[in-house]
Amino acid sequence: MSRIFTIARWELRKTKSSFSLKTRFFSFIILILIGTASFFAAQSGLHINDNIYRVAVTDASLAGVLQSDAKFEVYIAGEGGAKSLFENEGIDILISGDKIYYHNTEKSISALDALDKAIKKYDEARLLSYNDLNNTFPVWINIKNIAREQAFQAPSINKIPMNMTTQAPETGAGQVPEEDSHDIKSSMEPVEPDGSVPVTEKQGTNININIPEKTTENIQIPSIREITENRIISPINEQNLATPSHFNPSIPFKSVVLSFIFIFPIFFIAQFFSSSIMDERIKRKGELLLVTPASSYQIVLGKLLPYLLGSIALVAIMTFKLGGSPWIILTLLPVSLMFLSTSFLGAIIARSFKELSFVLIFLSVFLSGYIFFPAMFANIHAISIISPITLVVRLLENETVSISDYMFSTLPFYLLSILIFIFGIFIYREEDLFTQKSIKEKLLDSIQEFIKRVPAPLFSFSIALLPLVFSIQLMLIVLMFNFPIRIGILLFIIVAAFVEELVKSIGIYTVFSRKMSDVTTGNALKFGILSGIGFFAGEKILLLVVIASITGSAFGSVMGIGLLVFPLLLHVTSTTVASLGMRYLGYREYLACVVLASIVHAAYNLYLVRSVVFG
Amino acid sequence: MADTGVIVKKEVKSLVFEKTLILAIIVQLLIASFSSLIVIGLASFFDPSSLSNYDTPRANVGIVGQGELRQFIEKSQVNPHYYRDVDSALVAFYNNKIDAVIVIPKEESGGNEIINLVIYLPKSDIRGTFVTLELKKPLEEYEGYVRDIRGERIGFEPIKLYVDNIPKKTSTYFEFIFGILIPLLVFTPVFISGGLIIDMLTEEYERKTMDLLLVTPVSFSQILSGKMITAIIIVPAQAFLWLLLVRLNGVVVHNIGLILLLSGIIGAIVVIIGAIIAVKYKKRMISQYLYSLVLILMFLMGYLFTNSPFNLVTRLSADSIGAQALVYCGAYAAVAVVLYMGMMRFQVSGADSGNPE
Repeated sequence: MSRIFTIARWELRKTKSSFSLKTRFFSFIILILIGTASFFAAQSGLHINDNIYRVAVTDASLAGVLQSDAKFEVYIAGEGGAKSLFENEGIDILISGDKIYYHNTEKSISALDALDKAIKKYDEARLLSYNDLNNTFPVWINIKNIAREQAFQAPSINKIPMNMTTQAPETGAGQVPEEDSHDIKSSMEPVEPDGSVPVTEKQGTNININIPEKTTENIQIPSIREITENRIISPINEQNLATPSHFNPSIPFKSVVLSFIFIFPIFFIAQFFSSSIMDERIKRKGELLLVTPASSYQIVLGKLLPYLLGSIALVAIMTFKLGGSPWIILTLLPVSLMFLSTSFLGAIIARSFKELSFVLIFLSVFLSGYIFFPAMFANIHAISIISPITLVVRLLENETVSISDYMFSTLPFYLLSILIFIFGIFIYREEDLFTQKSIKEKLLDSIQEFIKRVPAPLFSFSIALLPLVFSIQLMLIVLMFNFPIRIGILLFIIVAAFVEELVKSIGIYTVFSRKMSDVTTGNALKFGILSGIGFFAGEKILLLVVIASITGSAFGSVMGIGLLVFPLLLHVTSTTVASLGMRYLGYREYLACVVLASIVHAAYNLYLVRSVVFG
Repeated sequence: MADTGVIVKKEVKSLVFEKTLILAIIVQLLIASFSSLIVIGLASFFDPSSLSNYDTPRANVGIVGQGELRQFIEKSQVNPHYYRDVDSALVAFYNNKIDAVIVIPKEESGGNEIINLVIYLPKSDIRGTFVTLELKKPLEEYEGYVRDIRGERIGFEPIKLYVDNIPKKTSTYFEFIFGILIPLLVFTPVFISGGLIIDMLTEEYERKTMDLLLVTPVSFSQILSGKMITAIIIVPAQAFLWLLLVRLNGVVVHNIGLILLLSGIIGAIVVIIGAIIAVKYKKRMISQYLYSLVLILMFLMGYLFTNSPFNLVTRLSADSIGAQALVYCGAYAAVAVVLYMGMMRFQVSGADSGNPE
């Protein structure tokens, strides 16, 4: 333990000394400039689409209206002149008198819609100037968002053969007597877990029985000042009171932007971490540490500690300053670990700074997609909680996050980052750090180390890689939601099968290609069976822990919830296909073997969900 | 000049050898495969009403109370269900029979009081989003109707323009693709190249190979120029690949030549800034950190004014500006030249003279 702290202290001193006074001063100046620039951006708006549309008008007073919107470049001309501009000069819209002409092109049609919006906005601004709310904005909507049990997918999806213990939530709700006209509290009771239908724990806790208060008393009409201010600050409506033109689905725009700011320090610190490790490799200073009695895991943990604590501290400071809930720190901890672990692995496998940059860009594009894309749908769809950022957004919106939500979205991050660290530490040794081995060779090295060190290697290896498979599959689910549902499921089945087969057989590939055992039919069979059983066992454990909340979806059933015997047979069979393939085709044909195994695997899953995919 | 060429060749070779370029292309493909998805996701983020273009089932809406709003809702896309009171409507709501409840108050359009509607929506639920979008139209029509009656009292005349057959399309997608997506894609290689030049230079410093290079007949300014040229020429090449991918997604981009020229010029500015930082600080950690900060600043500034590089790419790609853009390209090129001269004068001349040739 004390060795870890000693190394941590060294690391801290080294990083500190890199930041000269001049550097700190320079970065301070840039930060001030960034602050100023964002202030201007907030004041004058972003000039994204300035002058994107070109409009010709004959009426000069109308030109004033259009110039209130920067999107339009306005040309004033006589009737004939404007017409020739419109016909020959690529002008998108012609307004001759009070008649509008447009081309039948995408741009011109968009310009028409933008024109409509601009005029509406102009009219609303004029209405506001009357200072008479009752006659200018006569209709107000008081929006009350109430949590209720959510059907996970469109009802048609629930026709798939599902397993015995869980049931689609709607069936439970359907049995409530319809004409029940008591107060809401009593009518809610049948939906509680003590009802006739087993409802999983998560769904039970999700029902937040908020008896809406008596409606009409607590409506407060904001002053005109408030409305106008709202319009400037939040173009996307977030408050609970709106006029019809500002009645939009609640999208937590500000919170998502805010959560993005939280990620910045995490990202920077991960950069420092990877730079520091790469730096030692390039200057070969790390060799000295390796010959000390400190073991490689002590060295890595020691180096990690200051960066991890630093990013937690920065997040804590920001949370405190922005007035967020302290739970945000806990929610961002796994994210921080994830960024640090991928940077660590990147720094170990890269051969040069350039390669490190590209590896890190690649990983962070992937990671940012995984954490931010679902967060945009934080208020829209339940699947969005696969990203911890969604939880941050919810916390920022002062909503509650349950323990099971936390587990569901952060457990894959914890497991995966620990896994990455372990595999990285395996190759934190001279022959991998200070040689020009290719990325693939280094990854195989770490797998080889795993197989050497761990008992029942192939069995455990499949289990160990499960968090990775799980995270990739969750990401796939999010992607597939954007395709038409049948194609989405089909693609998901194929890609998911490929990922699983790859993970199950990569250990066998390592054993064969590194000559760790003889390539015989017997061995191939044995390894295939071991690896398949391992994956199956790990899958079931993981599912028990986290997956309860997506059992209602078709994707969930593809991910392996369901009967026990067939999945076991499936995993064993398909892995054996890959392993025997390597035995007979040679391990150089590894990719072909995995594809073959994936076909077997996908075919089984397709058969399971045939009713959804093929109607 | 020939020596600079040698450096360029060496750098390009090492880029290809390390397969980093290939990884960059994979990143591009990855993002491109996301892009249609990003378009839908971000566009709905940008303007939720664009979601209403998707075919959605008619939402079931519970209505409590009498009033003129009923007629507007009956004409619209939603299925109305009528309830005696709020409680019974909410029971149906909790049982997933209906996805929203509207409570209509007694006030009438001819009255003087504000009409306060109450709408119950399911929280964090996609159905809430769709029902909101479907209800928006009748509500807006109703507001317009009431406003027509009440507006006369204060003498308000709305602007009225006429058009033959209104196409049913929003501007969101167009503005998102050309305003945000394409400029981002075109400038991503620029940001990458700025980081690349820092890696190229700091690696020579940290491996101490810069000293070795300097004892060869190649001067420091030639090394620097060679590396910078490599970093700059891959910008338009990558940007072209992006635009090709965008084209495959079915978006027609205009003025590709001018866009590539502009991306090269901005690439030069960013690469020179990166090189200045790298030559000054010599350490990757610090240089990359400062570069990222400067990058954030430049990125923000790119959105601050009309005719910024972002805005020019938007207008060029949407064919809203043509050859006039050359004027601005010239201005940015001038900035690049000034930066280059500054670097050569303050950073390089000293280093060059210190090197016995």
